[in-house]
Amino acid sequence: MQESQSKVDSPAAEAANERGTSPDFVLENLRRATLMRLASVTSLEELEELRVEALGRKGPIAQIGKEFGKLTPEQKAALGKLLNSVKQELERAFREKKSRLEKEELAERLRREWIDVTLPARGVRPGSLHPVTQLQWEIEDLFTSLGFAVLDGPEVETEEYNFDALNIPPSHPARDMQDTFWLSDGHLLRTHTSPVQVRGMRRLGPPFRMIAPGRVFRNEEVDASHEHTFYQLEGMMVDRNVSVANLIYFMKTLLSEIFHRDVTVRLRPGFFPFVEPGFELDIQCLICGGSGCPVCKHSGWVELLPCGLVHPNVLRLSNIDPDEWSGFAFGLGLTRLVMMRYGIDDIRQLQGGDLRFLNQF
Amino acid sequence: MKFSYRWIEEMVEGLAVRAPELERLITMKTAECEGVTPVGEHFASARVARVLTVEALPKGKNKRVTIDAGDGAVHTVVCGAPNVRPELLAVWLPPGTIIDGRELGVAQFGGVASEGMLASGAELGLSDDRSGLLELAGLQPGDGLPKLRADWVIEIDNKSLTHRPDLWGHYGMAREVAAIAGGKLVDPVDMTLLPRGASPIKVQVEDETLCPRYSALVYGNVVVDPSPLWLKFRLESVGLNPISNVVDITNFVLAELPQPMHAFDADKLVGDTIFVRLAKAGEHIDALNGETYELTPADLVIADGAGPIAVAGVIGGAESAISKSTKRIVLESANFHAATVRLTSARHKIRTDASMRFEKSLDAANTARGLARAIALMKDICPAAALVGGVADAGRVPAGVPPIAISLNTIHRKLGKAVGEGRVADIFTALGFGVEKPKTGEFLVHVPSWRATKDISLKDDLVEEIGRIVGYGEITPAPPLVASVPPPSNPIRSYLRGLRLQLAAQGFTEVYNYSFVNEKTAARFGLAAADHIAVKSPIAAEHTHLRRSLLPGLFQNIIDNTRNFRDFRLFEVGKEIHPRAESELPDEVTHLAAVLYASAGDERDFYEQKRVVECAFPAASLQPVEAHPWEHPARTTEILWRGAAIGRLFELHPSLLLEEGLEGRAVLFDVDVDRAVSLAAEGKRYVPPRKYPTSGFDVSVVTKLRQPVAEVETALVRLAGEALVSIEFVRQYAGPPLPDGQKSVSYHLEVGSLDHTLASDEAAAIRGRVIEGMQELGYELRV
Repeated sequence: MQESQSKVDSPAAEAANERGTSPDFVLENLRRATLMRLASVTSLEELEELRVEALGRKGPIAQIGKEFGKLTPEQKAALGKLLNSVKQELERAFREKKSRLEKEELAERLRREWIDVTLPARGVRPGSLHPVTQLQWEIEDLFTSLGFAVLDGPEVETEEYNFDALNIPPSHPARDMQDTFWLSDGHLLRTHTSPVQVRGMRRLGPPFRMIAPGRVFRNEEVDASHEHTFYQLEGMMVDRNVSVANLIYFMKTLLSEIFHRDVTVRLRPGFFPFVEPGFELDIQCLICGGSGCPVCKHSGWVELLPCGLVHPNVLRLSNIDPDEWSGFAFGLGLTRLVMMRYGIDDIRQLQGGDLRFLNQF
Repeated sequence: MKFSYRWIEEMVEGLAVRAPELERLITMKTAECEGVTPVGEHFASARVARVLTVEALPKGKNKRVTIDAGDGAVHTVVCGAPNVRPELLAVWLPPGTIIDGRELGVAQFGGVASEGMLASGAELGLSDDRSGLLELAGLQPGDGLPKLRADWVIEIDNKSLTHRPDLWGHYGMAREVAAIAGGKLVDPVDMTLLPRGASPIKVQVEDETLCPRYSALVYGNVVVDPSPLWLKFRLESVGLNPISNVVDITNFVLAELPQPMHAFDADKLVGDTIFVRLAKAGEHIDALNGETYELTPADLVIADGAGPIAVAGVIGGAESAISKSTKRIVLESANFHAATVRLTSARHKIRTDASMRFEKSLDAANTARGLARAIALMKDICPAAALVGGVADAGRVPAGVPPIAISLNTIHRKLGKAVGEGRVADIFTALGFGVEKPKTGEFLVHVPSWRATKDISLKDDLVEEIGRIVGYGEITPAPPLVASVPPPSNPIRSYLRGLRLQLAAQGFTEVYNYSFVNEKTAARFGLAAADHIAVKSPIAAEHTHLRRSLLPGLFQNIIDNTRNFRDFRLFEVGKEIHPRAESELPDEVTHLAAVLYASAGDERDFYEQKRVVECAFPAASLQPVEAHPWEHPARTTEILWRGAAIGRLFELHPSLLLEEGLEGRAVLFDVDVDRAVSLAAEGKRYVPPRKYPTSGFDVSVVTKLRQPVAEVETALVRLAGEALVSIEFVRQYAGPPLPDGQKSVSYHLEVGSLDHTLASDEAAAIRGRVIEGMQELGYELRV
């Protein structure tokens, strides 16, 4: 750049050398010299300098314009035409050069701005929600869409709500020390979510539909397949003429949603004091499709949830007339479902707080 | 509970269903089966053999034995039994015999080819005796084993039988089988066998609620011997140990009717009266199982003139037990109060085949039936024994349940399926119910005694009978016809969903911790054990009290996860359980607590956690407060949100981590969600965007290094007054040219008016007011 400047004189100097000669000559000279220098310009700054020199208010064209008044109309017309054409040509050349330089500059910037896009990003990654929370939400959403309320109840319960009001008499083995956590204040840790049924019946009154997910407790030793703390989801519907056929409909709908496919279910007799008739609901094994495998213990069926029509005593104990209203109830083992869904073989993981486990969900 | 297919088959005439199919039918219609196992397949080829020679092999205990199995050949078997000797009559299982699912062949033992095997009682499924070969008598080589044939054991889940006392015996199951699989039920009991006349013993029942009925018989000339093989096999198959003919007969009746019985050695009894009464304080009994039990006045006992001879319905006494020398026996066939038996059984930790049945509420009609059945078995198995007198029978069969009226319509409504009138009547009849038909579509159903003790009392119970026998698979799923109404909302659950999602998005992983703490873990967070609700019989030492705080659990999570992670974030949503006045349920408060742990952390972690809190609770104000002992004294704040304290944000006191050998920092927050959700409901109101531009200026205030900037900000806000649109912290600076112990805090203020653009002198006036005001407050301003 230094070199090119020393070789070529400025347009103004060149025009001055030719002072005295005709403006036609000066203009032609300016045009040629400017175009020549323009060709060697490499930056926008240089370009602007050159433009000011050639076309600026102090440049030769402006100078010639100043002397216009001395000319005859004929000369004016001829010179004006020439002046305009040179001016336009140079302006166009500057525009083109500018645009080319801008493009080059952008291209250069883009070349300069290479980064290693494979470098790791900064900042925290999302954590995750407990798998029981996630499954519970799915089921809550399903039942909410079917008009079921989601209810909560306390973890510490009275004997009345946990047992009596569910038609579990004082002599029932479920009340023995080995199953229930009895507490120093005379209460107990709920052994199932069923007390929320009672709270629901008393709070909502018939007709109603409700589910109650939550933490439940059984006083037993913990090992890979037993926990004293686990999760259930209770459901209940009370209306006029609720039948076993309705129960099967809801259970089939529920399970097809949970497993994201059509499931085959079967009901067989099961005994639970708070339902009559009571059932165990089995689903056809999703692993083998019913032909028998280790998961279903070669029976083709997996026992999934207890359910039944609400026992008239249970309705009556919550001031609902069983001659007018009937209902169904079911209890879903959320913990068990989560273990089935993800193939978790150690139940203790769920309460373990180990991020190596929890971060997988 | 184990059931013998053959035993059931004997009581169901025309049973056409084999064991595996029967298992499925029982599961679908009656109770849950856990499997069907073939037993005694080896009896088909088992032969009686006489041992000819016994020759010890060079190594080990094994002997080369030759036998005569009645087929004219001499067979060789290798046998290690200590009792093998010439002339012994033993059971030979020849090659080709199927035993326990495998086929016997000719095996080599120490160079000797053994043709099949000689078998012990345990190997044959006739006893649990593995000590030597089963010794036979009165049979010839080549004979088969009399009355023994292959059988199947169907195992049923006890839990699914809790409401069905009648199904704790084969006869009850036979009735079900006849109803579900077809066939005619045959009653094994012949009541005409019961002797008439007075009994030589008297029975005195103290309380008929605890013992509704007590029946007994006396036998003389009893010869106590081992039972015949068929009886041993049958008992062994269903899990009862054969003991002696007399005891085995009582167990047979227990497993058949089901009626638990007990045999006393009559010569060991004191007096001629059997008392059924509550135990007296201080009484004890030496039981058949070799243990001595201290009885309580809540235990029902059978006693003679001297004291307890049995714990009613649970276990007999050792003193009056049947022995080889027993000559006279008293056979007890009684009915006891279910809950009393259960509590006694639980109190003394004795579970017997009898107690398991009694606690289900057995049918009192069975006491006499049990005796009649025992008489038939005694004639067969202990023929020399002679009845002495008649039956001593105290008490009676309690009144059953009144007949239940049920309509065809009720059945249809409850099941969601129509069942024909004839079908309904047939099902009731097959199950032993009496059926009257007052009019079309109506039934009056009489409940038999064996279903009336607790199982059936309502029409809903009858609906189940019809439903299960028809089969629930016959019911077509149908949506109910009900109003479509939106369910009531659950604000706390909706709110928690938002919080959980937000925390997860900010890198926090949700943990579930136990609801339990112990004295030590609670004490770390300033909570005394006495302020907690305690668990009465804790299983684990770390789970003795109900948590009043989520912090002990999270603290453990920190310790555990530092083994695998340098930095992590986690949170829990759970309930704090605070005791309230006696008899009132505790106060359960939902909390959200979160941890941010950094192994090489600094104060930036505090501000990061503060940011998380401010995202979760927008516009929350965090005020410095005095720290608890587990909180960093200079890094603890209270979270104020919408005018209420909802929780705390703090760095964990470094000493807690240092005690665990951890150098990192943990910043936690703990929020009362119940309180937060009550504030969250606050409605929002639209404020129109300003029409006129605002103007801004910066101020830098020099103040003491440890003065909270919030105080500076508060002063600025107050001084700027109504015109203030926003105030933003820009930076703070300490260092030259500021003197030590000083810092400069810069704020940017925007001021404006709702109805016009501020003129430059107006803006300057506000700025001047702020600067002068701050100076008056003693601050130096860098302008």
